[in-house]
Amino acid sequence: MRRWWLVLVLVGAGVLGTALAAWQAGDVVLVFRVEPAVAVAAVTGAALLVTATVRTVRILLDRARAGATAVAAREHRVFLRRLDHELKNPLTAILIALANLASTEPAAVAVSSQVSRLSRIVVDLRKLAEISDGPMERVPVDLAEILRAAAATCVDRQVSVTVPEVPWPLPTVPGDQDLLDLAVHNLVDNAVKYSRPGSRIALRVFEQDHHVVVEIADTGRGINAEEIDSVWAELARGRDTAGIPGSGLGLALVRVVTHRHGGTCDLRSRPGEGTVVRVRLPV
Amino acid sequence: MADSPRASPSDIAPVVLLADDDAAVTGQLVPLLERSGFTVRVVADGEAALLAAERESPDLIVLDVLMPKMDGREVLRRLRRAGLAYPVLLLTQVGESTERAMALEEGADDYLNKPFDPYELVARLRAVLRRSRRGLPALGAAGQVRAGQLRLDRVARRAWLADRELLLTPKAALLLDYLVTHPDELLSRERLLEVVWGWDAISGTRAVDNRIAELRRVLADDAAQPRWIETVPGQGYRFLAEVVTIG
Repeated sequence: MRRWWLVLVLVGAGVLGTALAAWQAGDVVLVFRVEPAVAVAAVTGAALLVTATVRTVRILLDRARAGATAVAAREHRVFLRRLDHELKNPLTAILIALANLASTEPAAVAVSSQVSRLSRIVVDLRKLAEISDGPMERVPVDLAEILRAAAATCVDRQVSVTVPEVPWPLPTVPGDQDLLDLAVHNLVDNAVKYSRPGSRIALRVFEQDHHVVVEIADTGRGINAEEIDSVWAELARGRDTAGIPGSGLGLALVRVVTHRHGGTCDLRSRPGEGTVVRVRLPV
Repeated sequence: MADSPRASPSDIAPVVLLADDDAAVTGQLVPLLERSGFTVRVVADGEAALLAAERESPDLIVLDVLMPKMDGREVLRRLRRAGLAYPVLLLTQVGESTERAMALEEGADDYLNKPFDPYELVARLRAVLRRSRRGLPALGAAGQVRAGQLRLDRVARRAWLADRELLLTPKAALLLDYLVTHPDELLSRERLLEVVWGWDAISGTRAVDNRIAELRRVLADDAAQPRWIETVPGQGYRFLAEVVTIG
């Protein structure tokens, strides 16, 4: 960082302040006889100085924000790992105890099913922590192929896949095939989960501004307006999702995978009409 | 879910040394393993595990990774340095892929992430035991292994087919390592997902199928008439060739 700009600004301000104070007190009489060229140079220099100062302040602010975000993200990951660690042993002990009971009593079956649900959440939290900062492959990934494979998993839905072929085919994106596969399948899985049999699901992919854009649209139940901002958070589940299996970590995984690829994701939804999720990934 | 525990007649109460500092886990695991035909010795820290391994010559050892006095991976390293090739199964506490890769490189024969399906643990222990009972060396401790013309340097993470070095993605290399060190075992896709990725993908198991396809490509293996990797329809994969340690 070029700290000398900062020093120059401070020294300049000090000299100017002292001169002004002296002039005000009548200790100094200023007689201005400035050549036009010198005036232009002075004004230009001052403008440059102000511009550089503003730029430096902006860089400092951006760094401070990025640093704070990185610290928060790191603390969050540490928390996820600690949670994972604290939950693992009790869950393991309960799973083995249930195996020892080998009971078909309804109560034991209910406990078993709830423990499986908790285990699922622990594993998904671990997955999230690992995906956040684990190693990532970077190979050319064909998102059209991933979309077609995901479409094949939709049961009892009217699925369409739109991939551009003309005037040129869709470019690949550099990334981790498994993680992008995981993200797309999560979104398609949601489209199926939150729609009725016979609903329409449209999978679209196209190129735009050096990005490949994936859209997954459904005519499902949609999301309430007040819940739209929170659906990307860990363990977020909508009010109306009781009875639908899920850990509330699917969209959080999608967000982490997208960000790790330098991309962005967002969604639009209307209750009762459906949802469109969009993922943009740099080419 | 693996098979329910049932003592095999050929297993004459093999001795399992179980090292875990959580009494809630060991308290439940001991009766389960005993009903599955094992004799169990329990210790609660790494140093005690090392002493018990040297004194009692168990048939296999189950080590929790996070333990007081000495963690499970350090116990494993010391066992291997001392030339003790007991089969070892690690109960990992850390889900990271680097941790898993290191566990295998340091000579664990297998591992499970907590929380695990107890019957899967019994199945893994039996598989490890079958190899050692047949007088075959525990491949987990081997630095280099060979299967026909295929050679793996497990420490350098490199593989050759005859004289040609195989160019593999890191995940395919990890998958090949696990297949080669667990030959003639039916390995479910879920198990392989856990081994290579540390978690099971919501997208099902296509991630495993993609890597198997990559391995078949580089090994010039025909899925219809496999020499190396057999598909067991609806169940998983099996590595077919006989594997020997060469260092």
